[in-house]
Amino acid sequence: MNRVNPLYLALLLIVLILLLVFNLSGVRADLAEAKESIKQTTKVATELSGLKKVYTKKINPSVFNSKSIVKTNTKTGATISAKEMDVRELNSFMGKVINGAYNITTLNIKKISDTKASLYLEIKW
Amino acid sequence: MKFNELLAKPSGILKNFTKNNKIIFLDPNNPDANTISDKEKIDVILSPSLYWVKKVTLPIKYVRDVKKLLPSLFEEILPDGSYSYSVYKEDDEFFIFAYEDKLILDTFLSAGISSSDVAGVYFAQSELGYIDGAVNINETQSIYVQDDMVVLVPCCWIEETGDLNLEDVILSKHKIALQHYAHIVDNSSLYKIAIVLVFLVVLLLSEITITSNKTADLLEQNDEIFASYKLKPTMMQNKSMLKKYKKIHTKQSKIREHISSILKFRLQGSERLSELDVKNSTLSAKYSGASTATLSRIKNVFKSKKIKHKLYMQDKILHLEVQL
Repeated sequence: MNRVNPLYLALLLIVLILLLVFNLSGVRADLAEAKESIKQTTKVATELSGLKKVYTKKINPSVFNSKSIVKTNTKTGATISAKEMDVRELNSFMGKVINGAYNITTLNIKKISDTKASLYLEIKW
Repeated sequence: MKFNELLAKPSGILKNFTKNNKIIFLDPNNPDANTISDKEKIDVILSPSLYWVKKVTLPIKYVRDVKKLLPSLFEEILPDGSYSYSVYKEDDEFFIFAYEDKLILDTFLSAGISSSDVAGVYFAQSELGYIDGAVNINETQSIYVQDDMVVLVPCCWIEETGDLNLEDVILSKHKIALQHYAHIVDNSSLYKIAIVLVFLVVLLLSEITITSNKTADLLEQNDEIFASYKLKPTMMQNKSMLKKYKKIHTKQSKIREHISSILKFRLQGSERLSELDVKNSTLSAKYSGASTATLSRIKNVFKSKKIKHKLYMQDKILHLEVQL
């Protein structure tokens, strides 16, 4: 007569099942959160790494093939200037700068004559 | 109390381990015959009116094999009800029993016996086979042993009857375990339900383990992404950096787009682009010798592209300012 009532055991199992179902819903929510987190991390990481790669790129020395251009490096970038340069050279130089993904913070091009112009350019990286 | 003292005094705690329970005889027609004090453990001997018994000889050696046959051995004998079965072997004969758990439990209740106080339940057949002659069990019935069977007979059949003395009874090993809800759910159904429930528990535990492992794997992958892309420790820092770079990207795209628009613009006659300037968040261009017609043409181009701009003439120089 001291045997455990089987209905109590069934009740215990049902309570255990309910607890496990509750626990499972929590674990599933954690999984959904982890999936969302990895999705977001991947998106942020890809975008950030791509943009960072582009806008922290230092200016290529081959761009400065003109003797009239003076380049000064700073801690976070470079300053490029020319008091007077040929318009064709300026076109070629600016073509490379504009088509390259540099972070231009300041630009000033002033026409001096029909064939000459001055240039002041600041790039950050 | 020290351990030695404990052993030296068997009348103390150790006595409880050797103490015999009080034995009572339970008869549905005389439920008030026994007085039971609270919390006292008792052994119960069931009156023959609480069970059905048969003595059978079978070509079977083992009790476990007979157990499977018990329902069929009582078939067509028992009235409708939910029965449990029991068997034991004496010499070459089997004593087989059928009983209703609910009937016995109800009789416990009417006798004021709590199931939790009952240590063992026995049949009169297995415990009272020693009695000599008839013994009164209530006002109208006696029990009597005939051909090794304890049978219930009316008192008037036998004139010389004695009273039942349970003090010298030595209980056999043939006790039964009552099923409290056997009348609602039989054992096989309970086992099936238990199997289903246990299966569910196992299933849920597996699901929890698998899901937790998946989560752990994903978290590990997340850490790997942080390491491989050399990200900052928190997502907030990374999002803030991304926002900063996106802002730079938008501004740089606008600079290139607007410069392209300005350079593509066809000037006429002596009109010249004399200065191009990018500073802070403004792109400005100056056109020397520009006419008002050129001003309105430039205006239309920027308007059609929905670009916010400022256009004005000053000292015959056309000024264009675009917000980046």
